[in-house]
Amino acid sequence: MPILGSTELFDDVHKKDLCVDCGACVGLCPYFVSHNGKIARLFPCTLPQGRCFAHCPKTEVDLNRLSTWMFGSEYDLSALGAVTDIRKAKAGPAMTDRGMFQNGGTVSALLTLGFRSGRITAAALTSRKGLTPEPVLAESEEAVLACSGSKYMASPTLSTVMKESASGSTRRMAVVGTACQMTALAQMRMNPLEREDFRDPVALSIGLFCTWALDTRKLKHLLKDHMDLDSIVSMDVPPPPAQVMTFNTSSGTVDIPLSDIRPLIPKGCGICPDMTAEFADVSVGALEGEPGWNTLIVRTARGAEWVEDAAAQGFLILEAMPEASLANLKTGALGKKKKALLRAKEDNCLNVAPEAGRSALVIDPERVESLLT
Amino acid sequence: MTHLGHYPEGSRHLLMGNEAIVRGALEAGVRMAAGYPGTPSSEIIENLAAISKDPSLHLYVEWSVNEKVALEVASSASFAGLKTMAVMKQPGLNVAADYLLHLSGSGVRGAMVLVSADDPGALSSVNEGETRHYAKLMEIPLLEPGDFQEAKDMTRWAFELSDAIRNVVLVRTVTRLSHASGTVIMGRVPENDKQAFFKHDGFIIDPNEGVVMSPPVEYKHGEQHRKLKQAESLFENSPFNTYTGPDTPELLIITSSICSLYSREAVHMLGLESRVGILKIGTTYPLPRQLMKKHMAACDRIFFVEEVLPFLEEEVKIIAAECAADIGVKTFFGKKNGSLPMVGEMNPDKVIAALSKIMDTAMPQRDAAYAARAGAVAFGGSPHREATFCPGCPHRASFFTLNTALSMDNRNGFVCGDIGCYSMGVLPAGFSTLKTLHAMGSGTGVASGFGKLSKFGMDQPVLSVCGDSTFFHSAMPPLVNAIHNSSDMTLVVLDNSGTAMTGFQPHPGIERDAMGDTAATIDIPAVCRAMGAEVRVCDPFDLHHSRETLLELIGRKGVSVLVLKQGCALSPEKKSSRRYDMRVDETICAGESCGCNRMCTRVFACPGLVWDKEKTKARIDDVTCAGCGFCADICPRGAIVKKEVA
Repeated sequence: MPILGSTELFDDVHKKDLCVDCGACVGLCPYFVSHNGKIARLFPCTLPQGRCFAHCPKTEVDLNRLSTWMFGSEYDLSALGAVTDIRKAKAGPAMTDRGMFQNGGTVSALLTLGFRSGRITAAALTSRKGLTPEPVLAESEEAVLACSGSKYMASPTLSTVMKESASGSTRRMAVVGTACQMTALAQMRMNPLEREDFRDPVALSIGLFCTWALDTRKLKHLLKDHMDLDSIVSMDVPPPPAQVMTFNTSSGTVDIPLSDIRPLIPKGCGICPDMTAEFADVSVGALEGEPGWNTLIVRTARGAEWVEDAAAQGFLILEAMPEASLANLKTGALGKKKKALLRAKEDNCLNVAPEAGRSALVIDPERVESLLT
Repeated sequence: MTHLGHYPEGSRHLLMGNEAIVRGALEAGVRMAAGYPGTPSSEIIENLAAISKDPSLHLYVEWSVNEKVALEVASSASFAGLKTMAVMKQPGLNVAADYLLHLSGSGVRGAMVLVSADDPGALSSVNEGETRHYAKLMEIPLLEPGDFQEAKDMTRWAFELSDAIRNVVLVRTVTRLSHASGTVIMGRVPENDKQAFFKHDGFIIDPNEGVVMSPPVEYKHGEQHRKLKQAESLFENSPFNTYTGPDTPELLIITSSICSLYSREAVHMLGLESRVGILKIGTTYPLPRQLMKKHMAACDRIFFVEEVLPFLEEEVKIIAAECAADIGVKTFFGKKNGSLPMVGEMNPDKVIAALSKIMDTAMPQRDAAYAARAGAVAFGGSPHREATFCPGCPHRASFFTLNTALSMDNRNGFVCGDIGCYSMGVLPAGFSTLKTLHAMGSGTGVASGFGKLSKFGMDQPVLSVCGDSTFFHSAMPPLVNAIHNSSDMTLVVLDNSGTAMTGFQPHPGIERDAMGDTAATIDIPAVCRAMGAEVRVCDPFDLHHSRETLLELIGRKGVSVLVLKQGCALSPEKKSSRRYDMRVDETICAGESCGCNRMCTRVFACPGLVWDKEKTKARIDDVTCAGCGFCADICPRGAIVKKEVA
């Protein structure tokens, strides 16, 4: 796939409103910045090729190439992507009294091990300032815990990784992010422009399950009449049949109907076929029906080594994944794939012939057809 | 120039047109002058202000807050019996027009002259407005000097005329007269210590002791017409209307102002002195009918040379039509038939081209080899330069902040422009940030309206800019309007501490007045706060603070004001001084391999920053750099280093 520059990125993503604010174009140059939940281009750049375009998860992303590079296997549109192991997991005894977790605390446990064992010196995470998600470079396990909890909003988390990478930093980092961010991160790690000064700072990528994120600005606009945005402590989407999104504030809980929430999903999320963050070393999500546990998918050898060590040292408790939950997860993940590919076809951004324009996604057309029929 | 009041009678001096006007006013015995700066008029008040401390000249000179106030201030001296003058550029005449309509209706007592300077071709303007139609509209006499001596002599005579008809006399100058220089023979500057006294206790319509006003309108209007007729009869024998050429020319050129010199040059270049006559008009309105009739009777082909609009052409054609029975039918050439262009500045080449066509005479050809070489040198030898802000100009920094803040805000916000150096914000120099540009103060007025369009679904942030002088001139009323009408907009005052574009004339925010005396200052942020706006003040050289503040303000409802305060780089206080020594650390600048794509020199493009093509790295041009320090915040790697000058 051709790697182009910021002009094409701007045309293909920004003008088509496909940007999901992942942050993969931020921090590499002075032109792309994130402000208040949106990526902005400050000035046009005339370079014919740029890392911005190469990293972006919405520009000519060849999923087969990515899969082959990362896992040595083809992208087959299977429900969960490359999987070496799948478990239910939660923070173990070594994580006792380490604070509040959204679900089982698996991500915090993996990161804590990372810092304690010296595997990492920093973690690219997402914090919140008021309701605005903010990229954070955590440099201690305490800083990690300050970022726990789901944000449900698109966030330029990767900007910190890009800054580190572009500045020639020697830090080893863990990166925690959603599917779009894991896709972009994997593309970045391929050193697509074959730069001599490239160094991969990523020691472990931890993907978060994601069915959708919300546009920060639109969410703020919706919520400002219902609550003081600065008072929000945490947020959650309880399992069906609740049909609400719950906001826990310092002065009580507010439920907003999901029918009001869904219109706030960025357009770019609609063409995302990836529920379980397939291009990460490990992926973590909720475990349906068991609020104190996570689903943990191990995808790479280094991911497996990390998880095993975490279990051995008591940071994680691992159990077999219940069959029914696994089946439900696969159904959900496949559902997202089908919906996204249909939308991408409709929007004419899947497998576009080179003479007809450019694609957001490139996937083996036969596999797409077989999934959709 | 400070000797302007003391050149002895009969001495010859090289004077700029504007200086000649000043000398003419001094020879007339002017006591008061008021104006608002504007190219090409500014040097008139500047020169008068510079000599105002000379007690023998008995002068009061001020830079007024705007042209309407200048006209009002100047007229007060007339009402008190003194000779007085108001000075402005043509767009200012539009501002003063409302008062001028009523002033011309009331008439004056002491002689009063209004000098209005046009800028044909818009060399330093965003219009090429015409003064001359105002004479007709306001029904007052108009004089147009055609050279530097006339600039002095006609200004002096304009006061005599005003004295004779008891009304304002309009004098029109243009850039090429005001800003060029020529030899002028001095007249006498009279001794004069006349005292001011306003008589107001007489019969209500008594022109000398009654109420100064335009009612009763029908009576006063009639008086005004009588005065205009009186002026016309004086014009019939005016020495400022001259004819040169044969008694019965094949073609009669009727021209005025600086175009009379272009006409003379064209006739000379084409060797048509024996065939073409030139009637140079100095008293353009009302035209002396008998004089026009006499000259038209001698020639059936008439060519008008004037700039900008065909004013003379239309006035003469009316007379020609009315006198057709006596003088016969004429053939006319000019702007109306396309012989000369309707727009743009006139020059000898255009006149020569038109004249050679009308007279069917070949244009003098340049030697071909010379023409080719001249063309090559002119177009290939000079470096391409875009109009841009000076090194160290706070406007470049301010527009960088405005532009990037609006991009970050990402809601298609825009800025309504205004008049000053910062008008260049429409160009790449200002990152093409300004999206409307009209008259003084109009940016904020337009923004006030834009800020109400949310009713129709517009959710774009609305901003306006104005300079400090423009703020006082005419941005305050639209700001009041925006606040009162609950508009959503942000005014950014680009306060560079002076009327910078026209040469640092003081304004009400500056602690000295035109004559150099200490003056009370009006605080812009305090004024805006008192009006009810949310106000912040930042240093435009502090990018991050300015931008964060602006982002906060444009996120608010209602009217907010950001004052970006930093003196002009060319101001007398700052010129030749540097706050920082700047350098590029070549070990940090990654050159072409940086992802920045030469942001510093390609986008920010301060003339003090250059791209070293050999090293492929940025470099500070030490001769040009003004040491403002702002570019240190532009480089993403921090390769531009600033060090405070000890």
